[in-house]
Amino acid sequence: MLIIKLALRNLFRNTRRTLLTVLLIGCSLSALILTDAVLLGMVDVMIESLTKTLSGEAQVHRQGFTDNYDVDLYMPESASIESQLENDPSVAAYASRVISGGMISSSYNVGAGIIYGVDADQERHLSKLAAAITLGHYLEDANDILIGEPMAELLEIKLGDRVVITQAEANTGELSQALFRVAGIFKFGVRELDSNIVFINISQARKILGIKQGSHEIAILFHDVSSADLDPTGLLSSLTDDTTEALGWRALNKDIAAMLEMTNYSSLIVGAILFFLASLGVINSMFMSIYERIYEFGVAKAIGTRPFDLFQLIMVEALFLALLSCILGMSVGAILGEWYATNGIPLGEMEISGIAMNNNIPTVLASHQFTNFPVYVILLTLTAALYPARFAANIIPTDALHRSL
Amino acid sequence: MLLLKLAFRNILRQRRRTILTVLSMTGGYILCCLSFSLTEGSYKNVIRIFTMDHTGHIQIHRDDYLQRPKVFKGIDDTPQQRQEILSQPGVHSIAPRVFAPALAYAGTRNTPVQIVGIEPQLEKTTSRLFDKVNQGQYFDVNLNADGYYSAMLGMGVAESLQIKIGDELILISQGADGSIANDIYIVTALVGTRNSWDRNKVYLPLSVAQEFLSFYGKVHQYSLLLADESAVDSITQSLTTALPTLTINPWMQVEATFYNSMEADKRGNRFTLLIIVFIVFIGVLNTVLMSVLERTREFGVLKAIGSRPGTIAGLILIETMMLAIMSLLVGVVIAAPIIAWFALRGIALPDPIDMGGIEFGFMTGEFSVGVFAWPMLLIMAFAIAVSIPPGIRAARVSPTRAMGSF
Amino acid sequence: MNLTLHAALLILTVTFAGLCHADLNSKATSAERAKKLIDDMEALYRGDISKALITMQVVTPQYQRSMEMVSMNQGRDNAFIRILSPKKDRGIATLKLDQEMWNYFPKINKVIKVPPSMMMGSWMGSDFTNDDLVKQTTLTEEYDLALVETVDHYTITLTPQSQTVTVWGKIDYVIDKTNLVPVSQRFYDDNNVMVRHLEFSELRDYSGRLLPSRLEMIPLNKPGHKTLVIYESLNFEPIDVNDSDFTLRNLQSRF
Repeated sequence: MLIIKLALRNLFRNTRRTLLTVLLIGCSLSALILTDAVLLGMVDVMIESLTKTLSGEAQVHRQGFTDNYDVDLYMPESASIESQLENDPSVAAYASRVISGGMISSSYNVGAGIIYGVDADQERHLSKLAAAITLGHYLEDANDILIGEPMAELLEIKLGDRVVITQAEANTGELSQALFRVAGIFKFGVRELDSNIVFINISQARKILGIKQGSHEIAILFHDVSSADLDPTGLLSSLTDDTTEALGWRALNKDIAAMLEMTNYSSLIVGAILFFLASLGVINSMFMSIYERIYEFGVAKAIGTRPFDLFQLIMVEALFLALLSCILGMSVGAILGEWYATNGIPLGEMEISGIAMNNNIPTVLASHQFTNFPVYVILLTLTAALYPARFAANIIPTDALHRSL
Repeated sequence: MLLLKLAFRNILRQRRRTILTVLSMTGGYILCCLSFSLTEGSYKNVIRIFTMDHTGHIQIHRDDYLQRPKVFKGIDDTPQQRQEILSQPGVHSIAPRVFAPALAYAGTRNTPVQIVGIEPQLEKTTSRLFDKVNQGQYFDVNLNADGYYSAMLGMGVAESLQIKIGDELILISQGADGSIANDIYIVTALVGTRNSWDRNKVYLPLSVAQEFLSFYGKVHQYSLLLADESAVDSITQSLTTALPTLTINPWMQVEATFYNSMEADKRGNRFTLLIIVFIVFIGVLNTVLMSVLERTREFGVLKAIGSRPGTIAGLILIETMMLAIMSLLVGVVIAAPIIAWFALRGIALPDPIDMGGIEFGFMTGEFSVGVFAWPMLLIMAFAIAVSIPPGIRAARVSPTRAMGSF
Repeated sequence: MNLTLHAALLILTVTFAGLCHADLNSKATSAERAKKLIDDMEALYRGDISKALITMQVVTPQYQRSMEMVSMNQGRDNAFIRILSPKKDRGIATLKLDQEMWNYFPKINKVIKVPPSMMMGSWMGSDFTNDDLVKQTTLTEEYDLALVETVDHYTITLTPQSQTVTVWGKIDYVIDKTNLVPVSQRFYDDNNVMVRHLEFSELRDYSGRLLPSRLEMIPLNKPGHKTLVIYESLNFEPIDVNDSDFTLRNLQSRF
């Protein structure tokens, strides 16, 4: 009890110094919280961009389909796979696609592109297609087609204009053409998607390609994105056999997954360095406070205070310092974190591994930032205080008493 | 002089404090140097890799060929034109190229490709194409024994057509004069990997490509390598003045997406560093302030005997600067070998990262004056800034009140 | 090219109809008359054979090219075209059988089937597409017809039905009433904006038939581009054309 009273009183004897030290440690904590929040935000944005724009968190294909996107490699049994997905509790949404390349012609021009035949309803719950439409409307009538802004510009077409798709049928390679009307124009913001892909109804796509049933790809969204990695219901492994494979987004995008692993380490490294540097300042600060009171300590020891008591006193001072700093650090971190969570941090235009990050990145505040990090701070401050505390404990009373100004 | 002596003596008075403060500034400095070195070095490495891969440091085109490539937008390729470009100071080598979209047939298969017409020997001086040949032989401009010209294919083309070395390749395209270009070539080499830039390319000797496309005496692009890659901007300028009829595109424009991503990443790094240094200097502020407050009585005496306020503030400033300089000296000594190691060896990343379409496989460091100098300036600037509040405080000490305190 | 053939056949039908004193001014409704016009033409088309010597000039802002070719037609399904000049392209030939098309390149001695991805591309660098040559002309079945009569011209407006696969929103055929020869064809997008037009001019006598010898295709969205087709000769009863001419083997034969 006495120790606590003493410690508090000592701290506030020199308020300016205490404040500056609290500022030092507190800012370090805030910096760490915010850096971590930004990195988490970036990772989230990237994963979401990767999975929720179009690809999904997992995909089911014929083995070998992703090598060359051969139109002949489709899954005729996709309907049964879909019902399996329907009954799986971890799956939030799924969408079948019929995919192949072809030429897209308007009255004015012709361009090459990839034609995605999608089930309008399934697609709405899985990808951002419906939300990406800037003009017109989503797929409604059988002959609707959705075209990206750059391609609409190339083909010199507007809403309602006619468009002819020319493709080679699956298995036979025979010429096949069909007429569509531009129902909507979209912009995902990802250059590859907007310039090269058009969307039509899956029934029409099957018709043009001469596929009676089946699809090239089934994309999956889970209730929890970690299901793509953990496969809690054994879904992905049960769907994989000799002809079919079911892969999570990490397996489909190996290089991005690797990079995201690396960003976890960056956070740790930055934090460690930051705290090491901050601790030097803490040690300095503690020493200064001890020097000021060296006469006091000398007297205290002279009248019989044990070294350990002095050690304890310094440590308790350090503890309070740490606690105050944590309060400051967490508050600043929370306020800035919240503000940037809504407004995002502007980093400019970046594209990493084909994922465009053109908007501000919202910071993500997580519980570990407010439970683990403060604990590190307290531990670190206490560690930094060990050296000064030991010094205080070992003061020789006579030397100390001599050292009067 | 006296001031310097005083300052020096003052910092030595409190050894431990000085050491700790110097240590923290040293730490901040080393961190800055390392971060600078690694970002600059790694990016420079990547830039070197892809400019040597196919982009070159500067590309020359006609008009807006870069944004809207059309077969007819050609540069008249004469020895004088090439000489004029090569004679610009700083230009190391030049490679002319011709591009055209085409349909490639082999057996029953066909696939769209891009034809790249190159001069085999010149291409070696400006890109690493020769090293990327992984099957077969790098070609030359001659007809082979059966009277066919040679072609080199990217892996994507080879896979789509299931074609091997020695097989026939048919190319169909539209000539620059509107005629239907058609010919047969023999595959002599496969280059690159499945994911590299050249996966859908078919390389032909330049004259052969020009003949094929009826594009005589013209090229679409000159790709230049510079002696010093950092001179890109100035040489772009001088070339623009020297060649008013052509468009000069530095690699930053050719690979705009990568360039923007790189700049954004660098910005992010700088910002983090700034925060770290800022925090270091809060500690330094604390220290300096404490040392000033301790010596209040001293300053009171000094002022009483006639020292001017400015002198006292100057003293504080010099003390702080000395701390900074000491930390910088120690910092350089420690950082130099570490950075040298990174510059010479570097760490391989377990999995290369793709940034804006270019691959990042190594973390290399850069060893240059800039890497050490910029952080120095930063630390000095902060040191000066941090010494001002305490300096003012010290200067304002009132002698009577100061000497009255303990 | 199909449109050129189409034009030739339209001319043919009309002329034949004229020769047979077909009464085009009957009191049938204009839609029925238009349908009859085109039906007569198609009726004439079946089983017919023709051979023509054609000069084609392609003009673009970057180059001008002139080609001479011989063109043979059988019914509305089969066509064989061989290029005679310039020397570089001599021997290049195109065979169309119904919806399929092949090209032959003598320089490499290969026959290449035109893949779907090339169907919408231009034929021999002209403003006609491969698709133009291949498209089946079931006009009366796939298009709605409307006939407008003025003092000098018949204008038949063809509007594609909802299921018809075509890039055109509307096609206008303008026919000269006096000579019963086509004057122009106009192709529109869905918003009634003309995208390209084909002009017929310079009537010539081909063994008793009066037909325009000069056809000019002008795309309006590509300034400076046009293709000019001139019928140097046109023979409706060629003696040297038979079934074997419309085979893949003929693509590679000596001529």
